[in-house]
Formats: sequence, structure tokens, C-alpha cells
Amino acid sequence: MRRTLLRGAAALMLSAGLGAAAQAQTAEVKIGVIYPLTGAAASTGAELRQALELAADIVNNGAKGLDMPFAAGGGIPGLKGAKIKLVFADHQGNPQVGATEAERLITQDKVVALVGAYNSNVTATASQVAERYQIPFLNPESSSASLTARGFKWFFRTTPHDDLFVHNAFEFMKELQAKKGIKIAALASFNENTLWGNETTKLQAKLAPEFGYTLAKQLTYPAKSTQLTSEVQTLKAAAPTVVLQSSYLGDAILAMKSYKELGFSPDMILANNAGFTDSEFIRTLGRDAEYVITREVWALDLATRNALIRDVNTLFRSRAKVDFTGNSSRTFTGLMVLADALDRAKSTEPEAIRRALVATNIGAEKLIMPWKGVQFDASGQNTLGRGILVQIVDGKYHTVWPFNMAAQDVVWPMPAWDKRKQLP
Amino acid sequence: MDANVSMLAKPAVTSWRPGLAPLGWATAAALLALLPTLVDSPAHLNLLILMLMAAQLGVAWNILGGYAGQVSFGHAAFFGIGAYASTLLGLQFGVNAWLGAALGALAAAGLSVAIGWPCFRLKGHYFAMATIAVAEIAQVLFTNWDCAGAAVGLTIPMQQQGLRVLVFASKAPYYYLALGLLLLSLAAAWAIERSRLGYYFRAIKDEPDAARSLGVSLTRYKLVALAISSALAALGGSLYAQKELYIDPGSVLHTGLSIKMALVAILGGVGTLFGPVLGAVALTGIEEGTRAAFGGSGRGTDLIVYGAIIVAIAVFQPNGVVGWWRGWRARRAARSGSPS
Amino acid sequence: MTSAILLQTLASGVLIGLIYALVAVGLTLIFGVMDIVNFAHGEFLMLGMYGAFWMYALFALDPLWTLPITTLGLFVFGAALYRGVIQRIIGAPMLSQVFTTFGLMILLRGVAQFLWKPDFRMIDHSSVSGHVLLGGVQLGLPQVVAGAGAVLTTAAVWLFLTRTQAGAALEATAADREAAQLMGIDSQRMFTLAWGLGAACAGVAGALLATFFPIFPEVGANFVLIAFVVVNLGGFGSVAGAFWAGILVGVVEVMGGLLLGPQFKTALVLALFLAVLVWRPQGLLGKA
Repeated sequence: MRRTLLRGAAALMLSAGLGAAAQAQTAEVKIGVIYPLTGAAASTGAELRQALELAADIVNNGAKGLDMPFAAGGGIPGLKGAKIKLVFADHQGNPQVGATEAERLITQDKVVALVGAYNSNVTATASQVAERYQIPFLNPESSSASLTARGFKWFFRTTPHDDLFVHNAFEFMKELQAKKGIKIAALASFNENTLWGNETTKLQAKLAPEFGYTLAKQLTYPAKSTQLTSEVQTLKAAAPTVVLQSSYLGDAILAMKSYKELGFSPDMILANNAGFTDSEFIRTLGRDAEYVITREVWALDLATRNALIRDVNTLFRSRAKVDFTGNSSRTFTGLMVLADALDRAKSTEPEAIRRALVATNIGAEKLIMPWKGVQFDASGQNTLGRGILVQIVDGKYHTVWPFNMAAQDVVWPMPAWDKRKQLP
Repeated sequence: MDANVSMLAKPAVTSWRPGLAPLGWATAAALLALLPTLVDSPAHLNLLILMLMAAQLGVAWNILGGYAGQVSFGHAAFFGIGAYASTLLGLQFGVNAWLGAALGALAAAGLSVAIGWPCFRLKGHYFAMATIAVAEIAQVLFTNWDCAGAAVGLTIPMQQQGLRVLVFASKAPYYYLALGLLLLSLAAAWAIERSRLGYYFRAIKDEPDAARSLGVSLTRYKLVALAISSALAALGGSLYAQKELYIDPGSVLHTGLSIKMALVAILGGVGTLFGPVLGAVALTGIEEGTRAAFGGSGRGTDLIVYGAIIVAIAVFQPNGVVGWWRGWRARRAARSGSPS
Repeated sequence: MTSAILLQTLASGVLIGLIYALVAVGLTLIFGVMDIVNFAHGEFLMLGMYGAFWMYALFALDPLWTLPITTLGLFVFGAALYRGVIQRIIGAPMLSQVFTTFGLMILLRGVAQFLWKPDFRMIDHSSVSGHVLLGGVQLGLPQVVAGAGAVLTTAAVWLFLTRTQAGAALEATAADREAAQLMGIDSQRMFTLAWGLGAACAGVAGALLATFFPIFPEVGANFVLIAFVVVNLGGFGSVAGAFWAGILVGVVEVMGGLLLGPQFKTALVLALFLAVLVWRPQGLLGKA
């Protein structure tokens, strides 16, 4: 009995000593990241993971010739060079799992902050846990407007939200009408039927009359359909000039294929990011993706105005074998914003980090996003963000709006399927 | 015929040796009551709460599926009705959470009877499939029902807290709520087991023709089992809503949940009192364990392990944990040569 | 809503219904012979899709030409799965059988993600890309070919069951296992055959689907509920029932979605299904 007691005590002292030594040597700051690593959004989750690892790598190990904060490497200066350690968790697209994982990361892994979660409904529950534990939660990509309407003090969102994005779509159409002297007669919305699509449908219904448009048809459909025939036929019957579509990747691909097979070709497909800007979209559809216009938050051709965008994208490409998309670039930016806050906080105390986040003021030149900067309002929303619109031409995304940032002109109307150039 | 009837009269409960029983139960009770103070990590406490909630749902399912033998894969419908009822009543009309949950249970029981009555003429797999259909229809309806938040879901605010609204900042109150609900459900199951009701349920499950010829109304008792089972599931749904503070059709009405409820009971031992509890501990443990260990890699390893474990248990121990326990005790008794 | 659109929708409904039918035929075969509900059936579909895809992506082989290989591969896989896992739970209660196939479902999805990552894949150009005009109705060519393939495969299965000795043995085992055994028919061989055939049907459906549907590890989930509804509606164990029920479900889903709104299409199918069951508890062509 005594021997085991002595052994136990010795082990305890040894581990304490080792632990202290370990602390002094490799100081690290743990950040919990919750993303869909399995399940329906897994392919997006995998890409976002790459973006996070790139950001952490730049902060920890530096990147030569990069003109952005932390590019010198060596960890976070304000925390005496502590390196970022990302602790990944998979929420599987399930809000309860997201909450469970958030709690595990906070209480077991003792992370100083959380980043996540792509899916808006999971962000809702995971950030709730963070709010209860008073740990900062930084959300780089969920666009549901209600997330910043909850009166939370620990929730910070860098991306603009759906209200702004839907506004963008309508502003674009108004400006396009003026610019090209065309008339957009009837609109139809075609949205998937989970949290994001549902909210977008409501926003579109609200904003259309404000901009003087009529929504001839508001179609909602269950995500993960086996076929979209009835939907496309309904759209054909409504014959809209413009289709406003919100779909995740699988449905976006299926929809485009169905449009082609059933011969449906409106003058414009104005999509709402998500599936349409996923790097798999063009890769899978090839030429069939041409001329789609989608809301985005980032485009590679912005690099012509901003060398930083080009350089960071090159780094990402060498790691992930694909270019940034709006999703991965936002995730990258989110972690950078958090690193900036940690640096200014000079402490890993939650309240210090929170105050640093509140005081965030990052200029446009330090970002790889086409935003005016990062500054959070009282509800935790970044007010300096903005969306852009891109069009797929020759297999690439080209910025077409705002017109003063456009790389090329809008192709209008979308050529009918049988009138397009065939693949050689 | 007489042999069958008398066989049915025996309650299907393991009998513990009388001497140790009260001490054992008292220790267990004390441990359970003090658990939140003994467990320091909130994540571990959360795990326990998830186990309690899964167990309670398994016990609820077991009343219909285990005792009465009517296998349902649509119990998420009742879980969801409970969650939505208490949440909507609280958000729209300020009804206190206890009353809301009770009303939700009543609504679930009522609806289940209305739907169950035509469905009970279906047998075996057809019945199971019909239950899936009902739950899926419920999910579609709630997804498109704007007053219930549609696909956006409902959020319970955190500003108000306390016993009236059943919102708490810490985990311990939820632990006691979950434990209390589980004990209530177990008490109901235990009472059923020992009563005439339980006798009729077993008759319906094992010897429906004999029962019918004795004048037992099969449909009536199936409906009773369904009503009790769905009411308890609904209470579980209300608790879920109060704990997670956010519900949407995908999280409280989807078929995967229904299957989980059945799985918990099957894994532990269908038709036994404590089977679902043991099954919940095992299943939740495996699920959370594999995800915590392998989930971060994103390669699907946790799914592989989880699936493999389920297959292994199903293949090698089809009678669940309780079946394994009984078999072990029987083998031990046989080895020692004395009756157990 | 012109009649042209209605006609086109009807035709599309029949075509997707034929795919549902083929998937369901495999499922009902397994059930009919051994009373096991195979929750992992969607994963046979998924594996068929991946099989067709990889032969296309790696060796530039057209999915229609590799169809026999995919079919054989899935047949072997189904049979092996039976021998390896299912054989052990033949006598077990229904619930633990459900449990086993459910676990297999999760396991197979996890393996698919592990091996091939969660990315979406598509076969861009097969020998059947494009569309056709059939009597003024525009339909995708892959769908038409898939529909034709489904009809041919179901017919082949039907002929096998009714015209060959092995098929008769299978039917005998399905009707009365003990009696069949007494007549010298080895149940284990029949079960292996049933699983192999069931998986092969799903494999054919998968290879055909792969010409126009995106491929990813969880794709089985999209189809499995519908397949179960079709099997039930047609009557468990009835191949003809699964065939006609599949077409019916496809038409109701698509026409219902068109006329009443796509957000309700699943609910409509399920409501129809419940209505039929209440009127005819054994399904359309099932044994009473």
C-alpha cells in the first residue's frame, strides 16, 4: 500500500515537473475549431480545414515575402511567441453534436477561443455554449442574419450576412438594368429548404417589392433530393427572366444538370454562394457551369489589384491544390482576425480577448478579402464587409460587380444550352 | 393454451437476491444524486446527461417496442412534437416550461392514438415502415410551417433563467432534470411490467392469437402502449429543447433519431426494464468516444469504428447487454452446480 | 402549366421511378428470401456508382461498357457480405438484424469517406451524355438509358426467378424455407445468391445513375428511404410489386412536386403510401 502511494507521489511530482518544463519550452495557445468534417458538407469542411492550417502555419512559421501581419512567423508576439495550436472537432452537420464538441473543447481541451462552424444551425448552438462559458466565438462564414440578433456578447462574425447579400443581388440587378438598358420582367426564387435557404426566401420576399421587382414564383425544395424535375418544370412554366437560387453543392450540381437536360435557360441565374462557389462546382460541371452569376465574397482576379491576395492564394494552392473560394478565404481571414485580437490582448484570459476583439480595427490592405476592413459593432457583426458578384466564364470566376471592381463585363443574357460552344 | 397463459402471467423481471438489494439500491441512489458534485469536468457531466436522456428515450420506446412488441421507427415524431409544443407555448404565450412539457406530452399522446389506430392493422415490417412514413411527413410539415419557425427553427432565449422557464447556465440542474425524467419513465415501465397492463402487452407481443381469443382487445392495448410511449418521448423532446435552446426540424424530427431510440433499447436488451439504460450508456459512450478520439481527423475513421462496433455487438450479442448478463449468470450458476 | 410540361414531367417521373424500382427490386429480393430488412442497401448503390466512376476516371472506360464488371463486383460483394456477416444473424431477432444492417450502413459510408474523401464526383462525358426528343418531350439521354436499363434488369431478374432452376429454388426458399430444405435446396446457398443478386441490382442502378447523378459517400441516404417505401408499397418480397410501385412513386413524386409544390414531394409520396397501406395492409402485390 505504501509503495504504491510513494510511486504515485513520485509520478505526480515527475509529471508536474515535466509539465512545467514543457510549458516553458513550447508555449502554445489552443484554439478550438468546429467544422463539418464528415456528413453532407464534409468536402467543404475539408477545404476550410486547409485554410485554417495555412493561417496557423503562417503565424507560427512565417511566410517569406508576404506583406501581411504575422508573416514573420514565430507565433503571436503579444503572447511572447506562443504558437497557435488548432484543436479540430467534427460537428457532422448536427447542432447538438456541435454544442457537445464546443463544450468538450472548452472544458477538456481548455481552448482560449472557438472558431466555426460553417453551417448556420450548428453555429447557433455551438456559439450558445461559448456564450454560456464566456469564451469568445469567432464565426468566419455563417451567413444567417439571426446569429447576430441574439444579444450575445461573446459572438463575433467577420463575414457579412444574408441581409446584405440579398441586398447586393437586388442592387446589382437594378444597376445592370440601367447599364445595359434591359428590362428584368419577372423573378423566381429557387431555394433549398433548411435554415439558410428558408431565411433567404424570406429576405427575398421582403426586398423584392422594395426594389420594384415581382417574384413570380418562390420555390423551396428539400435538400438532398434524388431529382429536381418538378422544380425545374415549375420554373419553366413560370418563365422568369432571372432565377435567384440558393443551393448547397449537391443540389447545385443536380440543378444545373436538370436545367440542361430539360432545356431550361433563363436570361440569368443569380446564385447565392454556397454550392455555386464551391471549388467542386466548376470541376464537376465543366462547361455546363458557364455564365452562372453568383454572389461571392472573394475572387482570384482581385489579385490584380492586390498582391497580397495573389501571394496567399499561391500558398493555399500549393497546400490544397485548389484556389481559395469565398468560404476558405473567409475562414483564413477569421483565424487571422482572432490572431490579431490575441496579439493585442497580450493575455489568454477570455475577457481580455473579448475586449481586444471588440476593439478590432483592421484595414483593408491587411486582408485578402475585398472588404473595407474589420470592425465589429455592438452585436458582434463586422460592419465593413461586403459581397461581390462573379460570373463563370471560360471555367473561371470573374468579378463583375461592383462595376468599379469588375474585371470584365457581364455576359447577358445567358446563351441557351444548344447555342453554346461545345467542348472539343 | 393454459401453459401459454400461465407463462405470460409471470413478470419478465430478473429477481435480485433479497439480502443485498436495499443496500445496493441505496448506494446507487446516493451516487446518482451526488454525481454532479463528484464529476468536475462539465464535458463529462454533459456526457452523463446525454446518456440519461438517451436512456429515457429508450425506456419510452421500449414500452411500445419491447413490452408490446410493436416496433416503431418513427418515435422522433413524438419527440419533436414535445420539443415544439413546449417551445412554442413558451415563446408565443409565455406558458411555463413544466406546463408546456405536460401539454406537449398530451398532444403527442393524442396524435399518436389518432395516427396509430389505422396503422395498427399493419403487421411487422409494414408497421415499422408506416411509422417511418409518419415521422418523415411530420418533418416535412414542420419544415414548411412558418408559425413554427419552418426550417429556421426556434431559439429559446437565455436572458430568462430559472425553474419556471427551465433554462440554466450550469449543467447540474439539467442533470437532475434528466435523471428525474428517467426515473419517472422507469417507474412507469416498472408499474406496467407488474400490472395487468403489462400482462396484456406481453400477450400481444408473444401470443396475439391466444390473447384475442381470450377477449383481449389488441388494438385498445396497443393504443395504450403507444400513448404512454409517445407521451414519455415528448417529455424527452421538451427536455432536449430546454437544454440545447435551439430546435429545428432536422434536429428533433429526423428518422436517425428514431432509429437511435430503438437502437438503445435493442443494444441493452429489448423488453427488459434496465436494458435501455445499459444500452444508452454503451451506445452514447461508443458514439462520443469514437468521435472524440477519431472525429478530428475528418477521415471518417470514427464512423468506421462506430459502425464496426455496432455490427460486432449485433452479431455476437443479439440479446443485448441484459441478455449477455443473464447468460453470464446462468453459466455461472450452471458451473457452480446450484440453481441461481 | 401546358400539357407539354405535364407530359414531360410525367415522362421524367416514369424514368426516375424505374431507377427507384431497380433499387427496390434488389431490396425486396433479399427480404423475400430471408426476411431481413437491409438498411445498408443504399450503400450497394453508392458502391456501384463509385465503381463506375473509378473505372471511368482512372482508365477512361465508359460506364455502360463497364456495367458488367460493376454488376459482377457488387454481386461478389453482396455474397461476401452475406457469408461474412449476415450469415451469423440469420436466427437472431428481427431487431438485431436491423441493428446489424444499420451498423453496416454507417461502416460502409465511413469506409467510402476514408478511401475516397467526401468530395463530389461526376462522370462528365459518357457515351450517353446529352438529351433526346421523344415525341416532342425533351428528356436527358442518361435518364432514358437508365430507365431502359432498369426495365431490362428487372426483366432479367424476373426471368431468372421464373424460368431457371436456381430461380425456382430461390422462390421456393422464399415461400417456405423448411419445405425447400426438405426438398434438398441448400438454404445457405440461396441466401448467398439472394444477397449477391440484391447487391447486383443496386450496383446496376448505381452504374446507371452515375451517368447523371453526383457521386459522394453519403449518396445512398438520398435513395434508401424511397427504396423502402417502394418495397413496402409493392409488397415485401414481390419483384413485380417493387417494379410497379417504383414507377408509381416516381410519377407521384414528380407530378406531385409540380402540382402542389416541390417542398411537399416527399410528404406526398409518403401520404400516398400510408393511404395504400391502410386500404391494403400487405402492399399492392404482397402476400396477404
